[in-house]
Amino acid sequence: MFTRRTFLKATPLIALAPTVPEFLVRTARAATPQADARDLVVIQLDGGNDGINTVVPFADEGYAKHRKTLQINKGQLVKVNDKIGLHPAMADAGKLLEAGRFAIVQGVGYPNPNRSHFESMAIWHTARPDAENRPDAGWLGLGLDDAPKPQGGAPASVYVGPGTLPAALCGRKCIASGLTRPEDFLLAPEADPRPAVPTADGDNLAAFVRRISADAFSAADRMAEIARGKDDSSRYPASELAQHLRLVARMIKAGVGTRVYYARQGGYDTHAGQFGTHFRLLNELSGALKAFIDDLVAAKLGERVAVLAFSEFGRTVKENGSAGTDHGTAGPVLLAGDRVKPGLVGETPILTELDPKHGDLKVGIDFRRVYATVLEGWLGVPAKAALDGTFEPLPLFRT
Amino acid sequence: MADTTAKPNDVWAPYAPTKDAPWDLRRAAHLRRRADFAATWEELQRDVQDGPQAAIDRLLAGKARARGVPENFQEVAGVLADTADEPGRLKAWWFYRMLFGPDPLTDRLTLLWHNHFATSIEKVDRAAMRQQNQVLRQHCRAPFGELLRAVLHDPAVLIWLDAPANRKGHPNENLARELMELFTLGIGHYTEKDVKEAARCLTGWAIAENQFREDDARHDAGEKTVLCKTGKWKGDDLVTMLLEHPATSRRLAWRICQAFMGEKAAGETELNGLANGLRQRDLNIGWAVEMVLRSRLFFADVNIGTRVVGPVEFVVSSARMLELFEQPPSTLLLADWSARLGQNLFTPPNVGGWAGGRDWLSTQALIGRGNFAAALVGGKLTRAGEPTDPSALARRHGRGRDLDDLLGFFCELLHGTPPATQWHDRLTKALGAGAKLTPEVARRAAALVLASPEAQLA
Repeated sequence: MFTRRTFLKATPLIALAPTVPEFLVRTARAATPQADARDLVVIQLDGGNDGINTVVPFADEGYAKHRKTLQINKGQLVKVNDKIGLHPAMADAGKLLEAGRFAIVQGVGYPNPNRSHFESMAIWHTARPDAENRPDAGWLGLGLDDAPKPQGGAPASVYVGPGTLPAALCGRKCIASGLTRPEDFLLAPEADPRPAVPTADGDNLAAFVRRISADAFSAADRMAEIARGKDDSSRYPASELAQHLRLVARMIKAGVGTRVYYARQGGYDTHAGQFGTHFRLLNELSGALKAFIDDLVAAKLGERVAVLAFSEFGRTVKENGSAGTDHGTAGPVLLAGDRVKPGLVGETPILTELDPKHGDLKVGIDFRRVYATVLEGWLGVPAKAALDGTFEPLPLFRT
Repeated sequence: MADTTAKPNDVWAPYAPTKDAPWDLRRAAHLRRRADFAATWEELQRDVQDGPQAAIDRLLAGKARARGVPENFQEVAGVLADTADEPGRLKAWWFYRMLFGPDPLTDRLTLLWHNHFATSIEKVDRAAMRQQNQVLRQHCRAPFGELLRAVLHDPAVLIWLDAPANRKGHPNENLARELMELFTLGIGHYTEKDVKEAARCLTGWAIAENQFREDDARHDAGEKTVLCKTGKWKGDDLVTMLLEHPATSRRLAWRICQAFMGEKAAGETELNGLANGLRQRDLNIGWAVEMVLRSRLFFADVNIGTRVVGPVEFVVSSARMLELFEQPPSTLLLADWSARLGQNLFTPPNVGGWAGGRDWLSTQALIGRGNFAAALVGGKLTRAGEPTDPSALARRHGRGRDLDDLLGFFCELLHGTPPATQWHDRLTKALGAGAKLTPEVARRAAALVLASPEAQLA
């Protein structure tokens, strides 16, 4: 197929310059991705992932004590070391670990855990545990506000998935976009208001709608390019998450210029009959991660991407009466990528030494230390304003 | 916590036309876009002529629609519901009600409670979801206690929140937590201990033969302390305590204003005033809705054009304004489009429902709204696939003499006022200099108006 991109690449742009819109000229210039840039992909595990059955401390005597029906046999686990194993559904994550591309930050949370899905998710998104001074912007959006704007009018961040943009991506200046399929960005010519794209200043609702409409139409052009381009990677599982990561890979490979991507996987709120659901979710997650990393490594872009997966909280140490678990506290943050320092980070939470205040896992590592490391150590943007404070970095990346 | 000085009769004083706030096309259109799914041109003219009281009376009585309601509406709706053998058809049934039914305010309130008690067909079967919709519809204007108990004693929400798994000695906190956080008090008015104790109160709630049942053998009959009150509480005692708590009335006031008021139009004083009024009237929802719709604040400038139109409203309103009654769009496709724009009926994103407001306007949703408008006026959602003729619609109402007058007509259908200069200039520029008024240009004009940023607010 003769796409607009191949057309532009094949045609001397100088000759066309007066008639080709500026954004297309820039698109063609940006068409080759740079291997030395740094991109971040965040995966939000919605509902509260049971970290204890994700990264299983099988040697801890508390495990057998608190997990009766949900206990996984040591022999079935994907071995990490002589005390810890990954859930049997995570064989693909195990392979990433073997290849030195997978890390687990253990016991991550924040002081005074909140067990409401919405409050706790808001805390992870804004990096502000205190509801009083929470901004209407998130840690990535605020971080990207201080980064150079991507070239060619690309949005600073892209959320792939249905529904609302995650609050984490909202900034004061930077543009965040959302899409489910690239086709979503092809605007019917009858409804295309250009050349008269409205612009607006100010903070009132009408100005907001005009501004976000203008952003939508300009982001649409870049995404429409992707939609028309060909996709040569076929080794992705069929799960929704894998397909969303595949789209992220397409954007990275096409040199869109966006540096932060965001995807979600729902269903972790396993209050009853947890085993089957949790198995499927972790299987999809680890399969999608491996396919994504393999795809980018094959494209020689493995070095530029890091993936971070988190959930709003872990689950109760003790299982409930319906073969499920209720809302808990700390949990693991998972990292994948060629430049991730592989293995375990931080102390393994001890299941027999629970926090006396709430009776669940103690928080070992404040999540803002992970964020600070990712912002400064990976994306190279200042973390202090985004996180409203200074947090000690962790050894998460190879230099 | 509640402001006891805020009297509902002061802050929610009734509207009467004045020089600064006249009863005109603008206010008539505003009323119908907030409390109906927009109106036809004739209905707007009738509302303007008859005055605000009559217009609001008709909405409250389910008699606001002058056109598009089929004589056999109830019968058809019944058949559609009975034959809804897959989720898409159930959604289409609801869209049929919203588009053709005589009582749009009831549908808007049913939608409000579907969001409040957000339950999803992803986990709950179709029959139970339909039954829940009936429950929401039946009690949508009742005292909140009646609505809440009816919802809690209905299988859908119990399955959704794992109530049957919650039994003596084996508590499951799911229902207890969401009952307090989402259905009644709201975050910050209870402790983690309260959640655990509330879960004990709710042990033994079960479903047998598709009916709510209390299973005494599974109930924890011991003493519990919830919200500082100790007793051998059962589930219904817990619900009573939650209903009596002032935070519940405050949350209800917020929920009702979220549905009918614009961004920042109702502040602390107004919310507290409405909450106080609700408490004095057994949390009567119908009272609060009427109070809001008749109020001076509802018709004040700060409340006009300051609310983001939700996807369901956008989809249904567009079809109604353009009077697509003879060759109506497929309601299956309307349901699909609404889902693509971010509001998949019977499938809210999570237990908290749709956040609404500015969150509706994602990049893909904005582009999707433009594409929906183009498909709708292009006739792509009908069986015959014939393009609509918006210029004929305008002519039928004595408008559309030229392109300017046609653009004016569409904008007046939306907002009751001609487009502001900036908007007008953008529209004419996009249509191209010297465009002649052909049916095709008229369609493009209609699609452009509906895709404009201005059309996303009402």
